[in-house]
Amino acid sequence: MDAPLLAIENLRTYFYSRAKRAFIRSVDGVSLGVTRGETLGIVGESGSGKSVTALSAAGLVTAGPGVISGRIHLNSNGASRNLLDGLEKYARVTEQDGRVVAVEKDERGWRRRSETLMAGVRGKEIAMIFQNPRSALNPYSTIGKQLVETIRLHTNLKRESEARERAIHWLDRVRIDSPRLRFDNFPFGMSGGMCQRAMIAMALSAEPSLLIADEPTTGLDATIQSRIVDLLAELKAETGITTLLISHDISVIQRLSDRIAVMYGGTVVETGRAAEVLAPEAKVRHPYTAALLASIPSAETIRRKSYLQAIEGEVLDTIEVPRGCRFYGRCNRVTEAIRENCAGLEPPLGEVAPGHKVRCWLYPSPGKA
Amino acid sequence: MKLAAIRPVSRALARELAVTALLLLGVSVVVFAILYLAPGDPLNVLLEGQSPRSQLALGMREALGVPQTWYGQYAAWFGKMLQGNFGNSIRTGLPVLPELARVGVYTLTLTLGSLALTLLIAVPIAVHAAAHGGTAGNTAATLAAYVLSAVPVFWFGYIVVYVFIHQFGMFPLISGTAAKQEHAWLYFLVPIFVLGIASGTLSEMIRHLREELSRVLAEDYIRTARAKGAPVWRHAFKEGFLIPVTEIMSAKIPFLLGGAVIVEQVFNWPGMGRMAWQAAQDRDFPVIMGIALVAAAFVRLGNLLQRVVFTAVNPRASRE
Repeated sequence: MDAPLLAIENLRTYFYSRAKRAFIRSVDGVSLGVTRGETLGIVGESGSGKSVTALSAAGLVTAGPGVISGRIHLNSNGASRNLLDGLEKYARVTEQDGRVVAVEKDERGWRRRSETLMAGVRGKEIAMIFQNPRSALNPYSTIGKQLVETIRLHTNLKRESEARERAIHWLDRVRIDSPRLRFDNFPFGMSGGMCQRAMIAMALSAEPSLLIADEPTTGLDATIQSRIVDLLAELKAETGITTLLISHDISVIQRLSDRIAVMYGGTVVETGRAAEVLAPEAKVRHPYTAALLASIPSAETIRRKSYLQAIEGEVLDTIEVPRGCRFYGRCNRVTEAIRENCAGLEPPLGEVAPGHKVRCWLYPSPGKA
Repeated sequence: MKLAAIRPVSRALARELAVTALLLLGVSVVVFAILYLAPGDPLNVLLEGQSPRSQLALGMREALGVPQTWYGQYAAWFGKMLQGNFGNSIRTGLPVLPELARVGVYTLTLTLGSLALTLLIAVPIAVHAAAHGGTAGNTAATLAAYVLSAVPVFWFGYIVVYVFIHQFGMFPLISGTAAKQEHAWLYFLVPIFVLGIASGTLSEMIRHLREELSRVLAEDYIRTARAKGAPVWRHAFKEGFLIPVTEIMSAKIPFLLGGAVIVEQVFNWPGMGRMAWQAAQDRDFPVIMGIALVAAAFVRLGNLLQRVVFTAVNPRASRE
């Protein structure tokens, strides 16, 4: 197997909360790899750090201090580059007992550096689609113009007329009716679903190596959501594009992902093949993944008219990170045998089966524990 | 596409022109009413010191052909105005319209020049602050601009007169009448500089442009522009720059006209403000009416420009 298209290593993205005078550890040591041609789904509740992971990979984090350490390798066109190259020179992280106590970062300098690193990558190699597509498209420009702009920026079609034809072709591919007419529409005259189709067309029209879909169904009507999921599945089958899919909706992740990563409190708690991690009969499963799965309404629960199972407790605010397992406070599967570990020691991401890793003391990986 | 964009603009233009006509009518009625009700009769001013007897004034009135009733007077003025005749100045006897055109050019130079200067200073500061946040440089510049804006324009004007004209003798005292001299345009710069800096417009312009631009830069669609590798300014230009600039320009024209009255006094600038001042003291009704209408038309022109730009740029406005 060749190198993954995108490899994130030990990424940490922090934000400073003036109100609380503390760092919010949005992403706290995440390592992920997206192999060419696959869809990696990142799932987790709001605040688990999944969107920030994606934004960090695209160099779109604007609040400070932002990305403070890690490496993001992009291997495309036979070249490998680290999108966080030289970050150490801009961010000095002071740690004490493995915890970050102070961050000094030349944010402006890093932003400039990051912009040079991302030039020719953002939009071209890594394209992104967002939630709330109606506000994500420029309201002052027709969708046609916005597509033409992307095409002329990133493909060798530089002539207006050629780019226009290509744009119409892409609008057609995302199943927009009468694309020639829609070309001249402004976003405000279109439905949310239509806008998301246009966003997808715009992202794919640059023929990127990696598509980051950040909550692509959030902010859309329920019926439109499943249409967009269908469309993404079809386009995936047609183009085979490598995708990093982010969603809090585990059913969306389930439908589209080859592999998944479950995030909680800024860390990956479980990762593996989607079929394996989400299989109903799986024996090894992180308690948080189990809780997420239990919160999906199934035909069975609807028939029995039973209540959905909410996850007890609040999402970790990642300001005061506990010494032990981050999920300990909400976990319902702590046994007396491991309680001491759970409360006092953060579990490692242990491999329980080939390619399947779980960060939980219930499943000590062979050789460790 | 292009043609479809012109239609809403011409519709907005037609609507604005109709509003302007109604507004000017309203302005003429109100100004006339105020003049009529205010104490002081132009005839008394004309006859002052010669004959206080009302009999003579009545005779004068008849000789001049002034109607007796207020509505008669207004109707007479309105009828002539429609034919492009704004009457003659009571003081000088010259026709009002050509006089207004003559001094209007000076006032236009002064206000538009100072507007341009204000923009020239405000735009870089506002854009830099919106794009980079509060750095030491732009905070200092903003602070300086705020202090200058808080300075009263007449005071600042006299300070400039004192320093540059009396102390250094760099400029002639009556800058407007120096127009025939060589490098005359240089002398024009002093009053323009004073009005542009100290009219209180500068700080509001910086604030408005900075707030609007930083709001737009935080919009989702700007993140999309960054994500697709497109230049941010290209996407932020319309909502973040063009619209706020025209908004603040049109909103500030009335204040600049007000400031112009003072600056023209200070610098002996032969503009409309000075003429208005003189006319008010003389109860020169035809001139006052003319100036009120021209000033109102000028203000409306600013609004009109703003509406046209907004409609041309904003697709939502054109579908109303």
